[in-house]
Amino acid sequence: MQFNLFKDARYFQIIFQSVFLAYGIFYLHWNAEWWMYGTYFGISLTTQFLCSVIFNKDITKLFSVSWWKKLQTSIPSVLISSFGLSLLLKTNHWYIAALAAVISIASKYIIRINGKHIFNPSALGIVATLFFTGDAWISPGQWGSNIVILFTVLCLGFIVTTKVQKLDVSLAFLGTFAALLFTRQIIYQGWPMDFFVQSISTGSLLLFSFFMITDPKTTPNHTVARIIWSMGVAAVAFYLTTFKFMNGAPIWVLVFAQPLVPLLDKLFKAKTFDWKPSKQLTPKESSFLRSVYTHAVM
Amino acid sequence: MKSKLLIIGSLIALSPLLYSFCGFYVSKADGTLKNKTSQVILVRDGNKTVITMYNDYKGDTKDFAMVVPVPVVLRKDDIHVVDQSIFQRLNDYSAPRLVEYWDQNPCEASFEEDKMYAATAKSALSESVVRGNGYKKDLGVKIEAKYLVGEYDILILSAKESGGLKEWLTTNGYKIPEGAEEVLNPYIKSNLKFFVVKVNEAEKKKLPGNFLRPLQISFNSPKFMLAIRLGMANADGDQDLIVYAFTRKGRIECTNYRNVNIPTGKNVPLFVQKNFSAFYGNLFDKQWNNEDKSVGFLEYAWDVSPASYYHCDPCIATAPSEQDLVQSGVWWLKDKDWNDYSDVDNTAPDNGSKNVHFTRLHFRYNRNSFAQDLMFQVTPNTETFQARYIITHPATGNFTCDAGKKYLQDLKRRRRNELLELTSLTGKNIDTWQEDASAKNDEEDVADAQYANLIPQVKEEMERETNNFPAGILLISAVMLGSAGFLRWKGFV
Repeated sequence: MQFNLFKDARYFQIIFQSVFLAYGIFYLHWNAEWWMYGTYFGISLTTQFLCSVIFNKDITKLFSVSWWKKLQTSIPSVLISSFGLSLLLKTNHWYIAALAAVISIASKYIIRINGKHIFNPSALGIVATLFFTGDAWISPGQWGSNIVILFTVLCLGFIVTTKVQKLDVSLAFLGTFAALLFTRQIIYQGWPMDFFVQSISTGSLLLFSFFMITDPKTTPNHTVARIIWSMGVAAVAFYLTTFKFMNGAPIWVLVFAQPLVPLLDKLFKAKTFDWKPSKQLTPKESSFLRSVYTHAVM
Repeated sequence: MKSKLLIIGSLIALSPLLYSFCGFYVSKADGTLKNKTSQVILVRDGNKTVITMYNDYKGDTKDFAMVVPVPVVLRKDDIHVVDQSIFQRLNDYSAPRLVEYWDQNPCEASFEEDKMYAATAKSALSESVVRGNGYKKDLGVKIEAKYLVGEYDILILSAKESGGLKEWLTTNGYKIPEGAEEVLNPYIKSNLKFFVVKVNEAEKKKLPGNFLRPLQISFNSPKFMLAIRLGMANADGDQDLIVYAFTRKGRIECTNYRNVNIPTGKNVPLFVQKNFSAFYGNLFDKQWNNEDKSVGFLEYAWDVSPASYYHCDPCIATAPSEQDLVQSGVWWLKDKDWNDYSDVDNTAPDNGSKNVHFTRLHFRYNRNSFAQDLMFQVTPNTETFQARYIITHPATGNFTCDAGKKYLQDLKRRRRNELLELTSLTGKNIDTWQEDASAKNDEEDVADAQYANLIPQVKEEMERETNNFPAGILLISAVMLGSAGFLRWKGFV
């Protein structure tokens, strides 16, 4: 396998996610559940292998060289999903962890429209596991609200998202969410500024904005559609967080908003209008972007 | 009521502990508002919450007044007074613990099993003085309800704006603490009601003893929170808050602050036994500073369902009985007839499960580190946890056999590690312990391995060690810069 770290943005994702996990375990003193991380990675990779056997269309190609190559290129995506689960979903039981991993990976093969999977694998795995088992949970407070985290995540997130040209999703989401929170907390309720700063510098929110909602496979293709869609996610997440006291609302909303993406893609396809004139890409950049667009990022 | 509500004593010794749970005391006279560690019992299942607030007020009951923000207007049935000894039992049971082990002399065959028992950090709480008084008159403030519960006169107020509420309180003889004002408006806008309490002298006289019983309130609301911001108003420093939480599913955790397990299972020197409270106080200080203060520490988590018998290892006090739990507000255990506690809500839905999970969280908050109230969630996390520190007594007798000589070597090494652990846990200079270590000199058999003799060695060792922390940061920075440079060089950034 041609291993070129910098040709594929997914490797950035993997590096950043492992930095975040290490930061949580070694600096924030999370209760490191190694068996759980092991289950996520092990079961995800196994599921990927099994799915690529089961969903292999051409029986003659099974276990051929090209088949193995295809499997290998899917591994970074699997690692990203596993990291996503490790960073967010907690449980006391190995079988719950295994279930989450299976749902994440298998959903890519099972739930598809127009040859494209609909759900962000780890977001779906998390939400489905939370909903169906009740034996798992997410800890919105695990990152704390530290301004240092804010800047680190912003910088790292900026690099990744500009590489895949989806910074608009992050900014639209975060901007809308922050504006609504500001209106509610500062202007309407009259809390002091640090109250708002704590709400908005929460690590969970920032990671969501830069590493989860940005998945290019599961966001609308058209810029305008993408921005409207992210703002909608932000507005609903704000409502559920503020008025329904729901924890981890953005992830839930994201999962329920993803089926809208194929619809938006259809609606906005006819429109040729694009705010951004397409710039000439170097061969290096276009191959980079192609690799990003053709794989689920998280 | 100088009686001992036993709590992690060292905390009291070390910090100016000011009172306030989710309310503030309002005072009429210009008394000094002095409080200390507050304690709250939270019971939560579904959307129902029961909050029991320990009342450690010690001044003249005529001057007592308290304000607590609540999400809904409470009915009279939602408010009770409970026996205050419940707090002592819960604290004794869940407090950080010291366990003792005894080494066997390897030169003497013995079939006696290792003995083990536990001690807990205890100390009486210190005094506090609070004053308050009076109410009535209308000023855009609506009295939603008015009750007499036990020795308390209770008003539930709703207000349209903070100015009106402030004026109402002021004209009715309440003195609002400096700084409380900034949160009144946000609370009004959050649609919170104000639960205002004062003592009814006539009722108070009927009761024996000079103390006020804890108030217990229950209500249905999706909000699972403790409004600590109002409490910060009359506190000019760090305040400790112990939360004892009971749920049916598992641990509770804070959703807007980090949850950190207090270091546990550490081997510490024998002399820690002499002042375990001070040890734990130092440890808590150090960890709290290390974790950037805006955290809640987990000190205990266990399934304490009446059906389960194994509640701790080791237990340092009797486990709370079913009756204790019911009195704490665990309504889903209430199907027996505890003649006295007919006030527990029987109408609440019960899915038949009698599980009770006990979580003890310890917060130390101040205005700078805690901008928001504490928000919680119930998780299905059933993993057990307890703050537990281990001391080991050396064997006694003659160590002339080969195994005995090896034992002495091991003992020395172990004790060196214990000293290092002590230093790293408490953040106190190793010299601090010299006196404690020397005082314990009844160990003639292991004279060579006495702590007092080991301290200079350990100190020397520590001085040799370079501080790893800056080195780590430098290394990480170097790697990051290196990668960034590499990316730039390759033309990807």
